[in-house]
Amino acid sequence: MHQLDNNAALRNFSALVDFSNLINSNLDLTFTLNNILLTCFGKFHTTKGMVALSNEQNVFEVKASKGIPGQIISAFPPVKFDDYKGIDNFQQFLDANNFPVFQEIRSSEGLKGFLILGQRLTNKPYDEEDVNFLKTILNVGSTAIENTLVVDKLKKVNRELDAKVNQLSSLFDLSKEFSGILQIEMISKMLVYSLIGQMLVSKYSIISCANNIHTFLENRFDENHLRLALKSCDTNQFSKTFTRNELTGDLKPFADVGVDLIVPMQIKGETKGLILLGKRKSELGYSKSDVEFVSSLGSLAIISIENARLFKETLEKQRLEKDLETARNIQNNLLPKTIPVLPNFEISAFNRSARMVGGDYYDIVKLDSNRILFAIADVSGKGVPAALLMANIQAFLKSICKMNLPLAEATNLLNDLVAENTTMGSFITFFWGILDNEKHELTYVNAGHNPPLLVRDSQITKLKKGGMILGVMQTTIQYISETVTLESGDALVLFTDGITEAMNTKWEEFSDERLEELVRLKYQEDSQNLLSHIKTDVENFTKGAEQSDDITSLVIKVK
Amino acid sequence: MADFNVNLRGVGSVSVIDVKGYLDAHTAPDLENVFNKLLDQKQFKVVVNFNDLKYISSAGLGVFMAYVETMRENQGDIKFSNMKENVYNIFDLLGFPILYEFYKDENEAIHKFIP
Repeated sequence: MHQLDNNAALRNFSALVDFSNLINSNLDLTFTLNNILLTCFGKFHTTKGMVALSNEQNVFEVKASKGIPGQIISAFPPVKFDDYKGIDNFQQFLDANNFPVFQEIRSSEGLKGFLILGQRLTNKPYDEEDVNFLKTILNVGSTAIENTLVVDKLKKVNRELDAKVNQLSSLFDLSKEFSGILQIEMISKMLVYSLIGQMLVSKYSIISCANNIHTFLENRFDENHLRLALKSCDTNQFSKTFTRNELTGDLKPFADVGVDLIVPMQIKGETKGLILLGKRKSELGYSKSDVEFVSSLGSLAIISIENARLFKETLEKQRLEKDLETARNIQNNLLPKTIPVLPNFEISAFNRSARMVGGDYYDIVKLDSNRILFAIADVSGKGVPAALLMANIQAFLKSICKMNLPLAEATNLLNDLVAENTTMGSFITFFWGILDNEKHELTYVNAGHNPPLLVRDSQITKLKKGGMILGVMQTTIQYISETVTLESGDALVLFTDGITEAMNTKWEEFSDERLEELVRLKYQEDSQNLLSHIKTDVENFTKGAEQSDDITSLVIKVK
Repeated sequence: MADFNVNLRGVGSVSVIDVKGYLDAHTAPDLENVFNKLLDQKQFKVVVNFNDLKYISSAGLGVFMAYVETMRENQGDIKFSNMKENVYNIFDLLGFPILYEFYKDENEAIHKFIP
């Protein structure tokens, strides 16, 4: 009897050693579990058994079974790791399907799962020795199970890591590519390829947002419906990511179009664009790490898109500046390049525009060997519109000069021409005069211009005769001219309001008074010096302030 | 600059695209051009031979995503062949094997179109 026991123990022991060697030789979970079941079957002469292990949610799942019909397995109750013992339907499951053996599998880390065995073919009940042997098998087996689980987990972590590395290298790749490209179309194309390759999607849209205008850079959704969806929602809310189940309320139209994910592309917290992605072909949802990837890619792309846009803008601005410079050159050519001379007069002129092109104009034309015509004008407004009108009046003036009309009559005609060419609200203040060398005379017409100052013996006379400003309406009231006799030493100072209204940093104007005082003080100097005094005084006065208006001045000295 | 080469040839009614070198965001447009050409010519049965491809980035994969639906809608497909292990791993990692057929040999892939 004793001998028999010893033999049985020896058999058990060698079976255990075999078992241990076998299951530790392999790291495949199914192989390990199958071998545990088969070893039990061989030892206890049963044909039914299953192993359940706890999953990541701590719920037990059947991982291997033998000899048990599918419907019984699917009836396995979803018991929880912590409280399976107290649950009635678990005990009922064991009783109903005639599973007399239920044994926990424990490893050093605690409960891993359990083994369930059916009746023995011999119908002999499991005795204490059997249970002890089973416990030993499971003790050995639990280590192997633990190992395979750890390996599985490692494999999973490794794959996740690989995926992450792949995403990072995509980001790295693109950051290199994006930096060299200044075409928005190329950038959005690369962005799209990376997104759909990485996320396995075929429906997508890349939208740039600027001033509430949405431009589709790339789109594979129904465009009309997508536009409607954008129109019918408050787009300010796109400062965060929206996943499928958040696309409700006024965002529901997006879900209807097939959008699964909306990721904003932001620069300094401001949404400059949107990435819309459809359903993933792999049927997987977008994980947190996926959204992070899309978002990083979007951030990279939008910076490049913004750079490209700014680059384009700068190019356009440069082109415009070049145009303006050409215009300025043209305008400068409209002003007299040399000043004609007469024996009894000496003339100096100065002009500076506040902008690239301006609306001030002066001209000096020799009519014949005895007469010079001079003019000064200020077109309302500044910049390009004023410059165009200035070019216009220059052309008229040159033509009218050739007609040899009396100055008042010529002014009537000039006003008619200008009125025809101006739109509502533009006008020209204008002064012109003819100097007669032999008679020492000045004949002038003042059409609403700041009255020129005629200085004689430190007394100022303002030349005001004429009529209304040019361009407001056709001539109904005739302009009148006045003729004044000039004396040697007289100075005539013409200017535009850019001089008298020049501002200093305290927002004070240079003023008529200041100009008149200066002129009275310096009128005896020659025209060039007098003009310099005016220029420097205005410059000193406005030091540090921005020149806000065009400045023009003409000085005529009678010899 | 990374080197990439793409060549198109016809085997019966099947178009075979040979890709060579590095397929990334920079070179993806070259491959895209070939696919556009195929669409123009109404060639929807495509085998891509990866024998000489050294590297592929996700932007490269994106090109296949961009065209596969059109091909399938027209009774065609894009099938892959002769892929090196390192290249296949990237396809595998991103889940492409659920969506695309991979073959060891180009002829095997062609014969799937012409049984």
